Amino acid sequence: MPAKRVIPCLDVKDGRVVKGIQFQNLRDLGSPVELARRYDFEGADEVVFLDISAGEEGRSTQAAWVREVSRELTIPFSVGGGVTRPEDFTRLLRNGADKVAVNTAAVRNPELVQEAADLVGSQCVVAAVDVKRDPECGWRVFIKGGKEATNLSALPWLRRLQELGAGEILLTSMDRDGTLEGFDLELLREAAKLDIPVIASGGAGTESHFLEALEAGADAVLAATLFHEATLPIAQLKRFLSERGQLMRLEEPCKR
Amino acid sequence: MITLLDYGAGNLTSLEGALEALGYAYERAESPANDAAENLWLLPGDGHYRAAQSSLLASGWWTALQSRIHQERPLLGICVGLQLLAEGSEEAPEAPGLGVFPGLVRRLGPGVKVPHMGWSMTSLANSHPAYRKDSTGWLYFVHGYALEVSDCTVFSAEHGRSFTAVAAKGRVLGFQPHPEKSGAFGRDLLDQSLLWLGEIPQDRQVQKVPQ
Repeated sequence: MPAKRVIPCLDVKDGRVVKGIQFQNLRDLGSPVELARRYDFEGADEVVFLDISAGEEGRSTQAAWVREVSRELTIPFSVGGGVTRPEDFTRLLRNGADKVAVNTAAVRNPELVQEAADLVGSQCVVAAVDVKRDPECGWRVFIKGGKEATNLSALPWLRRLQELGAGEILLTSMDRDGTLEGFDLELLREAAKLDIPVIASGGAGTESHFLEALEAGADAVLAATLFHEATLPIAQLKRFLSERGQLMRLEEPCKR
Repeated sequence: MITLLDYGAGNLTSLEGALEALGYAYERAESPANDAAENLWLLPGDGHYRAAQSSLLASGWWTALQSRIHQERPLLGICVGLQLLAEGSEEAPEAPGLGVFPGLVRRLGPGVKVPHMGWSMTSLANSHPAYRKDSTGWLYFVHGYALEVSDCTVFSAEHGRSFTAVAAKGRVLGFQPHPEKSGAFGRDLLDQSLLWLGEIPQDRQVQKVPQ
């Protein structure tokens, strides 16, 4: 069994890492490569970048920072945001990303996942899924950064994504996101029944929350602000999880 | 000098970043015609075994690799690059491999998540002059198929069963994991491999590898 992974997530707009509430009042936090390098040094197992650039202009800077991150990082990274065509997968991978995440476009055109998996291999295809609890179907899938509800029920959709060839699921609970109250464990227990790895996202506030998510069956845990503000340093979190019986990669960070 | 085989499969940017950080000179080559034969060849690869092989065949690299192996010149394969150096793969049973390493590349599982994606503990199975005896650590893997263990296995890892993480035969080395993506330990193993294959990093003193 591979080690459980701790993954910081960074939002990128027009080639800069930003932070804001619901994509409003964005603050510039620095360059993707500089923040990624910091996480690499702190012991992150992987980094996820979500490009929230709106137009073509923001996209045009993407190739440059993805390439730079790829040269500098000693750990793998995924890039998502605005991925709509099979060519987007090849382009991002050619620029040095290890995996590409797709969300809205997979709902609109599920065959995209299959085409991408055939083209670049399942291991490079991450399906990002945003869900909210719903009395009708358990959890409902939302797209467009959580702004638009779909008629998809989450659990069957996750199974479908697996069948289509997704290599991994990045599962965000919108109910918990930003609350610091802990992951949606019931959701994770259901998702852990899949045959592909699941990254838990949304709600982490304490070390114990991460432990609960892994015990519920998640293969990896993701957070943004908590790591960024160093409220919870990654190295400290990994030691905590390791001491409580989780298999974690613990080593001296890369100094080169 | 290292020649990176640029045949359309494999994450070359990360590899280039790692080689630069370690101080090794390299050049990309899209076909064997552009290349000096005395260089160390680095064969990367990801995606499907058959796709990688077809692309090597189409660009002329496959034949060049066969004669290179015959001449016992240094070669380093990574990920699918290692798999192509085996006798063959279950992923493409009709397409024989380069046959340096004995054994077949077999699908992982059942009973474990496939692809095997993430960090796994990798330890020395048979001592080899390229590597220090205390070399044990975490390496990053992304693969659905793995080479079975043989006497060419230097490092092994486990995912449902034990498999070859690093193989060596003569002056040919192969990595299933991505040393360029595996933090400090991965960089160190890549460095030890390149030193042993005869490369000399440019901007630092050559450290002798303890035997």
